[in-house]
Amino acid sequence: MSSNPLPSSSSRYGGCTVTGALSVTTAVRDAISILHGPDGCAHHNFSLLHSTYLDADRIRRLSIVSTGLREQEIIFGGEPALEKAIARAVEQEPGAVFVISTCVAGTIGDDIFAVAEQEWDVPVIPVPSAGFLGGTFRDGFLEALRALSVLADGCTGDRRKCGVAVIGERNLEFEVGEHFREVERLSGALGLPVSLRFVNDISVGDISRLGSAEVNVLRDRSLVPLGESLKARFGTPYVESFPEGFSGSLRFLEALARATGRDAAAALRAEREVQEEICREFSGMQGAAYSLSSPGGDPEGQDSARAVADLFGMRYSDEGPRVPLPVSAPVGSGGVRRLLHRWRRALHA
Amino acid sequence: MPEYGCSGPLWPCALTGAASCLAGFSGLAVVIHGSSGCYYYPATFLKRNLYGTFLVESDLVMGGEERLLAVLRALPEGSGRPAIITSCAPEISGEDIRACTQEFDPLVVESPGFCGGAEAGHARAMEALNPAVDPAKSTVNIDGITLMDPFHRGNLQELERLLALIGAEAGTVFCRDRYDAVSDAGPLTVSANPDFAGAPGKTCGGTLGLPATLATFTRLCDGRAEGCGSWDLSPLEDEIREAEERAVYACDRFLRRFDPPCALVFGIPGYAVFVAETLADYLDAEIPFVGTRFGAVSSRFPSENVTGFDEAAKVIGEHSPDLVLGSSFERTLAPDAAFIGITPPVRREVRLRADPLAGIEGTLWLLESVLNACIDRAPR
Repeated sequence: MSSNPLPSSSSRYGGCTVTGALSVTTAVRDAISILHGPDGCAHHNFSLLHSTYLDADRIRRLSIVSTGLREQEIIFGGEPALEKAIARAVEQEPGAVFVISTCVAGTIGDDIFAVAEQEWDVPVIPVPSAGFLGGTFRDGFLEALRALSVLADGCTGDRRKCGVAVIGERNLEFEVGEHFREVERLSGALGLPVSLRFVNDISVGDISRLGSAEVNVLRDRSLVPLGESLKARFGTPYVESFPEGFSGSLRFLEALARATGRDAAAALRAEREVQEEICREFSGMQGAAYSLSSPGGDPEGQDSARAVADLFGMRYSDEGPRVPLPVSAPVGSGGVRRLLHRWRRALHA
Repeated sequence: MPEYGCSGPLWPCALTGAASCLAGFSGLAVVIHGSSGCYYYPATFLKRNLYGTFLVESDLVMGGEERLLAVLRALPEGSGRPAIITSCAPEISGEDIRACTQEFDPLVVESPGFCGGAEAGHARAMEALNPAVDPAKSTVNIDGITLMDPFHRGNLQELERLLALIGAEAGTVFCRDRYDAVSDAGPLTVSANPDFAGAPGKTCGGTLGLPATLATFTRLCDGRAEGCGSWDLSPLEDEIREAEERAVYACDRFLRRFDPPCALVFGIPGYAVFVAETLADYLDAEIPFVGTRFGAVSSRFPSENVTGFDEAAKVIGEHSPDLVLGSSFERTLAPDAAFIGITPPVRREVRLRADPLAGIEGTLWLLESVLNACIDRAPR
């Protein structure tokens, strides 16, 4: 795609809060997400999420209901339409109903909190969003995680048997499954199974176990406030980011072991062997010249690309073959290995 | 459509329809006056250069006019006449776009999402374009070409080919042309897609199906003005006859071995009815239901608007089709049926060629795709 957002001001281009919120709420299998806005907003998001999941071979039936605001509601107010949509959703007996507002609902001043607070037969949880009035995609994503966390209960049993809760996976990321499996592999090396993915393909009932995890693993550092909040509510320690690259994988194991009082020595030894094997597999790239492709990746991705290049003593040259820049840092040693395959293909091309 | 609570709306909003129309014209700089969310969907869907105001909360509080003016001033040299499409929030807040942007002489299309679907936005954009006919011209306009249609490139190529076949010259293409061609259209028009019409002049008809194509080109030749040169219908008649024979032969051969499919069709009204009729006529297919994205249709098959994912699921669940023609949404709902994508979005398959649905090649493409899909899925 070629786009020309003008004038340049990156703060404006962070996407819509609605999409961020829906990327979380639609990952709860037995819940219905009500989008309080025109059908067009719901279609845009429904289509985007549906297509993203299809392209990644993740067939998931999405429950997004639009309140279908039209000119009449814009003039007279849309709260009655929201009430009716919630009532229809509740009749289907979902585990919960999440209410997400759009900029249209925000502009006409509808109060989704007041409607959600009415007495309903299932939990009706408002997610502060309001389209661009609420910030960006990231804000909607964080607000949804915070809103859903109200369904969590405290720990009643032995926390050491409750495993890892993964917090805040980026569900629209193409490699979301591969990233999760790296975290699962590394935590498994310490004898820690993943017991909850908050929020990825779970039920409303699963969320109640959020407060019981032995440790929370956050997807990235922007989730630290949520990690702190869960720590304050339930006493759960957290690791602040998924493992990034080779050295990040080792640090991840150390942090996870420290948070759970485990000995990381054996897991670290095994992971170093995995990394040495990868280095042998790609030893032919030693000293190769390279340049980086389109500047689409974030600074994190650029740093990690340079770190991977340094592993093999690769030389940056503007004339070198262009290797793809990762959209974000490769997760785990497995992520580095996949990136190296893409780079080797580019060097051969 | 349900009164309140459409589950999984399947059709884009008016803003997207307007962008699909305007972004097809070179010489227009299409500006989406709205938030990043309103920008990204049409930009990624249409895969065209669009500009955006990317409104944030302060713009709404203080008024978005200043932001819009800043974007208009920053448009690259030579990007063309600005064409501003307004989204929901600026419409609600009551910005006077025309007054504040007068110095840029923009086209303004008030096409907020809440005013309807993509077809409504397309109509508003066509109205804003205000196309005009040059009666002295002898060219033939092509209508119903819009970027959001997965067949727009193939249809355009096919209609240009058919016009060349009879010796006519293609005129303005609505909506895939230079902007200045809009006010310089020919007096006659042939259409590829009746649901995205709007060209000026005399419309000779549509080109969905072999009989319709022949009838339209016959009217075209009958209606030509003096001095149009020598248009000759006979090569087209010959080609249609040959195409008919090939289609009948292939379908008959299929029916010697296989039962006709039970097919469900979901799409925009014109395409959906054409597809249903073609399958019934050539393959004796059972068509228990035709679901349209918008508008009422007159059809010999049971037909209703299907605008939500749950409605589509219900229809598919009731009929257990062998074959589904629709979008990726319906494909997901009928994983065991043969599938042909005729309605956007069409995902999870690679499409690089310019396949037509209109004209002679369009009918052949449709039947070829259906036969191959059904043969692949047939029990052995």
